[in-house]
Amino acid sequence: MSDEKIIIQVDPDLEDLIPGFLENRKLDVEKLRAELESNNFINLQSIGHSIKGVGGGYGFDLMSELGAAIESAAKEQNSELAREKVDQLYNYLQRVVVEYA
Amino acid sequence: MSINNSESSVKILIVDDDVDVLNLLETWLENDIYKVKTCLSGLEAVSQIGIYAPDIVITDLYMDGMDGMALLNQLHEENPLLPVIMLSGKAQIPEAIKAMHLGTSAFLTKPINKAEFMETVRRVTPKLTDKSILNEFTKNIIYRSKEMSDIIEMASLVADNDVSVFISGATGSGKEVIAKAIHEASSRRDHRFIAVNCGAIPEQLLESELFGHEKGAFTGANVKHEGLFQAANKGTILLDEIGDMPLALQVKLLRVLQDFEVRPVGSTKTYPIDVRLISATHKNLEKAVEKGEFREDLYYRLKVVPLDIPNLASRVDDIAPLAEHFLAKFSKNNKQQAKKFSPDAINYLSSMPWPGNVRQLMNVIDLCATLSKNKTIPLSLVKKAVHDDPIHMQTLREAKQAFEKGYLLSVMRITHGHVANAAKIAGRNRTEFYKLLNQYNIEPAAFRDKKNVEKEVH
Repeated sequence: MSDEKIIIQVDPDLEDLIPGFLENRKLDVEKLRAELESNNFINLQSIGHSIKGVGGGYGFDLMSELGAAIESAAKEQNSELAREKVDQLYNYLQRVVVEYA
Repeated sequence: MSINNSESSVKILIVDDDVDVLNLLETWLENDIYKVKTCLSGLEAVSQIGIYAPDIVITDLYMDGMDGMALLNQLHEENPLLPVIMLSGKAQIPEAIKAMHLGTSAFLTKPINKAEFMETVRRVTPKLTDKSILNEFTKNIIYRSKEMSDIIEMASLVADNDVSVFISGATGSGKEVIAKAIHEASSRRDHRFIAVNCGAIPEQLLESELFGHEKGAFTGANVKHEGLFQAANKGTILLDEIGDMPLALQVKLLRVLQDFEVRPVGSTKTYPIDVRLISATHKNLEKAVEKGEFREDLYYRLKVVPLDIPNLASRVDDIAPLAEHFLAKFSKNNKQQAKKFSPDAINYLSSMPWPGNVRQLMNVIDLCATLSKNKTIPLSLVKKAVHDDPIHMQTLREAKQAFEKGYLLSVMRITHGHVANAAKIAGRNRTEFYKLLNQYNIEPAAFRDKKNVEKEVH
């Protein structure tokens, strides 16, 4: 996967919230990986659903799309696809750089 | 940032089990000067309601423990006018429609768009001080009394909200006028308002009238018929005299209100509907529930916002403006010179008991205007008109004729003007049936054009 930076422009009003928000998403990735290990599709679906619901509001539209994809894969109990999407989310979080504008 | 002073003290309670959603919405709202409190669960929200007294509640739909719909029910038991915005990560239209009918002011899907969210909050912000909205609402309602003023304010607040309104009041007190005003003040105003008098339609035909029927559903049903719920789609339906609805049909109505879909008689298919329901009755439905004549679950489903219209005699301040309004209307309609009542005539009108309420007052005023030769209507003439029209109670013959006409109109609507089928349903031969139609000046052709089918249902 690419390691090129992804620049996201975020509303300056949210500046104080963003570090905690991104930290919570990194924790989500850890939880998602643990759920994948135990094949707990219900929890996978639930975490994917939450990420879908919250990402776009903060300006991270691709994060919402990946959350929706994880939710959908978990619903179909497709662990291979779910793992691929969790990896993409991890990669996205590594590359994302926030600019306040 | 565009905000007016009335919004600056609006208190909002946000409920979501996701702390990042709470932080985001809180930041958006507080930067727009709203006051915000956040809760991580429905139960926590319930414990905060009495203490914080929010003007608006924003809640997630899917939460562990008490979900958004259960929270909405509990909040509206205490205060049916509290605006509630529901958020959901799943864009499911039936859920959204159901939430709207259960009294949600708005339904937004996640991820939430800031502009749409802020616009929605502004839209549902209580408009208690917005007199222009009240003026628009009351332009067709004549009143001066405190009793009616309270009802009008309540009705105007619930107008642009799909919550079920239940209007009670004696015959002739103006229930349909209020229902129509609610429709006109709502976002459904560009769609149809259909009033159905459940007591005037025979039991066997009422189901077909409301929900429609398939071709061949019963003898005489040779054409598929779209019911009034479907005809009123996106608009408002008033079920007047709901207390007269047979128990068997009450079950079907309840199902329609729960699922927001109708199943025509004889059909295996259901059709989604999006209709605002207003119900009305002159009966004491609580007593009917106690006697087992009206379903308790339907009663509570209909009575989310109750409006009880007082008798005319108990709102004396309304009599003079109503009398003047009806007099001016009569003069205008009949191209007469403008007339007025003498002061003692007005005092006399204001002191009468009016058992037939506003409708009786209107009849008396029309009679006064017809009989009067002069510009000023004297007390003697008013006394005569009141005496000649003591209650304007129908004779038995008039009541039978009104029922017969209502029956004929229903059966003609259902058969789309097919006289042979209508006669079959009515159990008459064609010749007899034609005679009846002639007697009431009912023209079968008027029912053959679909556009003419709805009209008024009495």
